[in-house]
Amino acid sequence: MAESLVRVESVSHTFPAPEGGKEVLALDAIDMEIRQGEMVAFIGPSGCGKSTLLNVIGGMIAPTSGAALVSGQAVRGPLPKQIAYIFQESALLPWATVLDNIKVGLEFQGVPKDERGPIASAALKSVGLEAFAASYPHQLSGGMKQRVALARALSLRTDILLMDEPFAALDEQTRMIFGEDLSRLLASERKTIILVTHSLAEAVLLADRIFVFTSRPGRIKAVLTIDEPHPRTPDFMTSQRFSELRNELYELLRDEVLAAIGNDRQGLS
Amino acid sequence: MSLQSSRLPHPMVTRIAVIIGLLILWEIFGRMGTSLFFSPFSKVVMSGHEIFYEPEVRRALLTTSGVLALAFILSLALGLVLGLSIAMSKFTYQTFMPVLLLLYAIPQITILPLFVLYFGNGPASKIAFGVSHGMFPVAVSVIAGVQGIKPILLTSAASMGATRAQIFRRITLPYLVPSLFTGMRLASTAALLGVLLAELYASAGGVGHFTRRFSETFQPDKLYALIGALAIMAIVINESMRRLEKRFSKWR
Repeated sequence: MAESLVRVESVSHTFPAPEGGKEVLALDAIDMEIRQGEMVAFIGPSGCGKSTLLNVIGGMIAPTSGAALVSGQAVRGPLPKQIAYIFQESALLPWATVLDNIKVGLEFQGVPKDERGPIASAALKSVGLEAFAASYPHQLSGGMKQRVALARALSLRTDILLMDEPFAALDEQTRMIFGEDLSRLLASERKTIILVTHSLAEAVLLADRIFVFTSRPGRIKAVLTIDEPHPRTPDFMTSQRFSELRNELYELLRDEVLAAIGNDRQGLS
Repeated sequence: MSLQSSRLPHPMVTRIAVIIGLLILWEIFGRMGTSLFFSPFSKVVMSGHEIFYEPEVRRALLTTSGVLALAFILSLALGLVLGLSIAMSKFTYQTFMPVLLLLYAIPQITILPLFVLYFGNGPASKIAFGVSHGMFPVAVSVIAGVQGIKPILLTSAASMGATRAQIFRRITLPYLVPSLFTGMRLASTAALLGVLLAELYASAGGVGHFTRRFSETFQPDKLYALIGALAIMAIVINESMRRLEKRFSKWR
C-alpha cells in the first residue's frame, strides 16, 4: 500500500475544567496512520473526542501532548494548501452568492484573482449546482448548501478532506442521496478523507476503514475494514453484507454508547 | 394572513384616518384656549409658512442642517472606530463595554454647560453635543453586530488560511452592514436631538434658537410650523436610512 499521509502519534488532549468541575480528558494517547487516498470514518458515542481528533489533525486545536503529522511534518496550525474542511452546519457566507462563496475560499487560500472564477465554476459544476451560481445560501435547501460546501472544499484542491458530521443537519433521504453522490465524486477525486459521523450506515457506505472510539476518554476500540470498491451504489446499501457490517459496527458501539450515557449520569449526580 | 381578514380596511387607510382625527382634535382644542400658548392647526398652516420666507429663519434651517450633517458623519466615524475597538477581543470587550454603557446612561443634558465651556457657544459646541449623542448608538450597534457573527464562519475562514485582515474585510465588515444601518438610523435621531438641545439652551443661531424665541414671544403658530419642519426633517432622514438598510440587508 501507499505510504501514510496522516500520522497521529500518541495524541492526548485535555479540555480545561468547566467552572467548578474537573478537567476533561477527551483523547487518551491515540495512535493511527492514514494512507494516501484512503477514506476513513471516526465513529463513537457523543463526547468521545472524535471531532477533537479531527481538529487536531486539521491544525485547529493544539493537542495537550503528542502530535499529528501530515506528509511527515508536524501540524502546527491550519494547512489550507493540504487540508480542506466541511463542517456540520452551513459555513457559507449568507451575503455572498454561491459562486462568490467558493471564490472567497480560494482568495483565503491565496489563489490569484483571475484563476478563482474558472476554478469555482468547475467545482460548482462537479456537484451539479452550476445553475445556482447566482443564488444566495438562504435560497437553497440544507442538502444543496452542503453540496456547495463540498464544492468549495473540492475547489481548494487539497489532498486531504476533513468532514465533521457533514450530514448532521440533513433529513434522512437527503443524506442518503448526498452520501451516494459523495461516494461517486470522491472515488474520482482520489482524496484522503476523514469523516466524523454518528451514523452507522454512512460510515459503512463511505469508509474503507472505520475507527470505533470508546466513550470518554476517547481511545480506539477497534478498526473495521470495509473491503468494497468505490463508488458504492444503492445495490451495496441493500446487500446482505452491508447489513452484516452495520450490525458488527453496532455491536462494537453499543457498550460504548451505554458507558457514555452512564458517564453523563454520573456527571449529573 | 388570517388576522388581516378581507373585511378590515387596509392599515394605510386607518393610519391616515388616525392622523386626520388627531389634526381635528388639535384644531378643536386650538380654538378653545388662548392664542398666546396654543394655535389651531389651520392657523399654523396659514400664518406659519410665512416664517420660511424670513431670511433669518432660512439661514437658521441651513445652519442646523449643516451642523447636523457634520455631527452625523463624525458620530458615524467615531462610533464605528469605538465599536470596532471594543468588539476586537473578549478582553477589550470586558474592559470597556461596562464603561461605554455607563457613559451612554448619563443624561447628557446635565453636562451641556461643560460643552459650552470647552467649545464656546458657536457651531463647535453644537457639533460636539450632537456627536456625543450620536456616537454611542453607532458603537453599541457595531458591537452587537460583531458579537452576532457565527463562530463557524470564522473557524471555516481560518481553516482556509484567511489572514486577520481578510477575515475583517470579507466577514466582519459585510456582516456589520445591517447593524451599522440600524446604528445610523438611531444616530441620526440622537444627533438631531443633541444639536437642537445645544441650540435651544446655549447658542445664538440655528433652529433651536428660533423655537426658543417663538415660544418666549408667544407666537405658537410659528413655533409649531418650525417644529413641523423639524419633524419632516427627522422623518425624511429616518426613512431614507431605513430604505438604505433594507437594500443592504437583502440576504437576511
